[in-house]
Amino acid sequence: MNDFVPAPIAQLPWRTILLLLVMASFGFVVLYSAAGGSLTPWAGLHITRFLVFLAMAIILSRLKENFWKSIAFPVYIVVVIMLLGVELIGAVGGGSQRWLNLGLIRIQPSELMKVAIILAVARFYDLLPPSQIRTWGAIWPLLLLLALPCALVLLQPDLGTTITIVAGALTIAFLAGLPMRLFVGGGIAIAILAPLAYFFALEDYQQRRVTTFLNPENDPLGAGYHISQSKIAIGSGGIFGKGFMNGTQSHLDYLPEGHTDFVFATMAEEWGLMGGFALLFCFFLLFRWGLGVALRAKTRFSQLCAAGLSITIFFYVAINLMMVMGLAPVVGIPLPFLSHGGSSMMTIMICVGILMSIDRHPGRQGGAFG
Amino acid sequence: MTALLANSRKVQFSGKHKDVVANAHFRLIILLLVFLGAFTVIAGRLASFAILEDAQPSRTTSAVLVPARGDIVDRNGVALARTIRGYAIRVIPARLLGDKATLSRQLAAIFPDTSEADFLATLTSERPTYLRRRAMPDEVKQVHALGEIGIEFPREDERLYPQRDLAAHILGFVNADGEGVMGMERALNESLTQKSLRATPATLSIDSRVQAALESELNSAMISTEARGAAGIILDVKTGEVMALASLPVFDPNKLRKDTIRFQTNEVTQSVFELGSTFKPFTIAAALDAGTVTDLAVRYNAMEPIKVAGFTIKDDHSQGRYLNVPETLVHSSNIVTARIADNLGKERMEDMIRRLGFDERPHIELAERGHPIWPKRWGRVTNMTIAYGHGIAVTPLHLASAYAALVNGGIWRPATLLKVAPGEEAQGRRVFKAATSARMRQLLRMIVSSGTGRKADAPGFRIGGKTGSAEKPSNGGYNKTSLVSTFAAAFPMDNPHYVIITMLDEPQGTAETSFQRTAGWTAAPIVHKVVSRVGPMLGVVPDEHRDVDVSELTPLLWSPKG
Repeated sequence: MNDFVPAPIAQLPWRTILLLLVMASFGFVVLYSAAGGSLTPWAGLHITRFLVFLAMAIILSRLKENFWKSIAFPVYIVVVIMLLGVELIGAVGGGSQRWLNLGLIRIQPSELMKVAIILAVARFYDLLPPSQIRTWGAIWPLLLLLALPCALVLLQPDLGTTITIVAGALTIAFLAGLPMRLFVGGGIAIAILAPLAYFFALEDYQQRRVTTFLNPENDPLGAGYHISQSKIAIGSGGIFGKGFMNGTQSHLDYLPEGHTDFVFATMAEEWGLMGGFALLFCFFLLFRWGLGVALRAKTRFSQLCAAGLSITIFFYVAINLMMVMGLAPVVGIPLPFLSHGGSSMMTIMICVGILMSIDRHPGRQGGAFG
Repeated sequence: MTALLANSRKVQFSGKHKDVVANAHFRLIILLLVFLGAFTVIAGRLASFAILEDAQPSRTTSAVLVPARGDIVDRNGVALARTIRGYAIRVIPARLLGDKATLSRQLAAIFPDTSEADFLATLTSERPTYLRRRAMPDEVKQVHALGEIGIEFPREDERLYPQRDLAAHILGFVNADGEGVMGMERALNESLTQKSLRATPATLSIDSRVQAALESELNSAMISTEARGAAGIILDVKTGEVMALASLPVFDPNKLRKDTIRFQTNEVTQSVFELGSTFKPFTIAAALDAGTVTDLAVRYNAMEPIKVAGFTIKDDHSQGRYLNVPETLVHSSNIVTARIADNLGKERMEDMIRRLGFDERPHIELAERGHPIWPKRWGRVTNMTIAYGHGIAVTPLHLASAYAALVNGGIWRPATLLKVAPGEEAQGRRVFKAATSARMRQLLRMIVSSGTGRKADAPGFRIGGKTGSAEKPSNGGYNKTSLVSTFAAAFPMDNPHYVIITMLDEPQGTAETSFQRTAGWTAAPIVHKVVSRVGPMLGVVPDEHRDVDVSELTPLLWSPKG
């Protein structure tokens, strides 16, 4: 970096910021086209939000590891209280709701919980002596940490977020060194329990989504409509796409949620396979960076935390893309940097901010990975 | 990736810590593999979508695009009838949650053409009913936004006529069960619904541009002459293909209403008329064919009306002199035509009329075909009145097919509304000798160039034709006061390609027509206007230097000296 650039600016993680900017700009272009060539209602707000949250992430990146350690449990408790608050307001006001209106902004506490659970679980395994990792003492606090948030989010009901929260926590537990047999056994147990859960635990609309996922062509105009239209949009894009502003599925309103959950289909119709691969490559670079941060980190907390946050972002991307392509049930998870929506973008940019903070302050002690 | 692996090799292992580190590192590799695996699966799926769908576009799309009922297109492929998956809006009153009064007010705001009270009555009725049989997507969106679970939006196959009322009588329409009940929708119902055939559209013979021009000219003439209705047909004389067929006033098959039901009668194929003077050329042609008229210069007495068996035949515009054959047609003399038919004899006359197909319903695919009114007894008087078009009632389509035979060299062919591939026209039957047909072309051209049909002459298009003032049959007899003005023409006369018939129902004498009601002033100008418009579309180029040679006949027309 040249001398005349001030050091604080030169030290910013420019490569990461550039990568994020590329993806958010691509999202801007896709949303601009989805609105029929208009900044409103989505594209303008999308890029503005991104820039605000990017500034927030850069500020977060100045904070040090000790700060994250100190707030891990308090934040967790605050978010659980907010989740309770949502349920209480919902119970009093009638009907379920996911939002908490704080006057200036509306917050979706279940989104914040995705970050809070990572911090809390990472902090827990950080505090746990390595000798106890194979004991019962390493397991029951994890279950306790998970129990209340999962129960509250499931009540909303929001299956997608619940899965993300559990997956983030389990990933940290897995990396922290819990016995492998627990995970193998757990996998087998899920395979057995899933059909039972399908019949007894899932809501009617959730059951329909699963059956539709297994065979969307059965009901192409009903519950399978999302997936069928999404597949048509992606397939009709071909290799090079129909071109910017030329998508028909999204412009003619065939594709539902073409600006939120199914934004990838909107993009693939206009930009084709090449656009899809380019986007996948961007996400791949982001995860490589995230896991790289985890590997370079020198303390146990920052390693677990970085890996957990990377996995959280990864879950957004993977579940969304698999859902859009009919590989996973429709659970309503947005695509980072492309989908229109403030709450999820805030969550992801908090994740990115903490990752940048760990990247900047890798710590001094020897960590779990050396 | 290699950077991550290289980094891991620097790890220092020692004691118990070594196990944890090795274990954690192993697990991070597993995590990486999961990442890579998921990316590979997603990328592969994406590629399979993009490449496989691209390589076999017909596999899925054709299956999706086969309509429930085949499309109908015109001869150039312009869509005339299509089937779309439309929305209907249906209400199940028992399931309604909201306040019905509020809901009906909201619905009335979305559909201003229905009153709030009507909606309230629908919503409070017992049984599920349709709020709208057909609704636009944004209307459906607005109703959906009301959030009422008692209202559903079934997707139904809708028959759509994108050209609105264009060619409505040809197309007809389908009933609520999707069965064709009129027009070609009815005639082609089987092939339009058959699974193996409906993917390819049914191609009609009509040209929608020609159809539109004919309809617009007929409509403006109908308005300017204050006529009750109008009809017209353009027929290819060589193949029998109908290029345009119009019956006015029209109805919109997309929106069937009670007050337009009476317009659904196809005046061209369904209604029969005493077509009057347009019949005279048939009598002359039959006489030329039979050899009872050998010399066109021979004059017949037209000084005074003929009295036969208590019946008087007289001319509308008596010339008060002897007329030869060309003069008979040019001045439209009933007396001379009757004399020629009398000479011809009733057997040969009836034979010609039957060979022209006037004794049966017109030949066309439509089901709406009127039966001619055939004389009860074909006596001497009947024979003489039929000679000038009275005593027999046929449809305008009969007339068009007969004129085609008159000018195309003498071959009668059934008319068709389906496009005919070159060389595959229906086998015709000979009605007139080729020489007779050639003579008739000269005579018809003379009527337009120097007779009652002068107003039909469009420069360069070599139009020939005959005027006729017809009478409508009513209560078994004929209504003498309701006049139907007809003009039957063909063009270009040196090599006829098309027959055009125009007809006005009870035209009034207006300033536009110099206060005349007869065909020469009302129906003939429409031919002029239509041919000027559609001639180039039909491949007939106006040429002032070409015409049928009538020089041998011109001297036969007498004109007062000075």
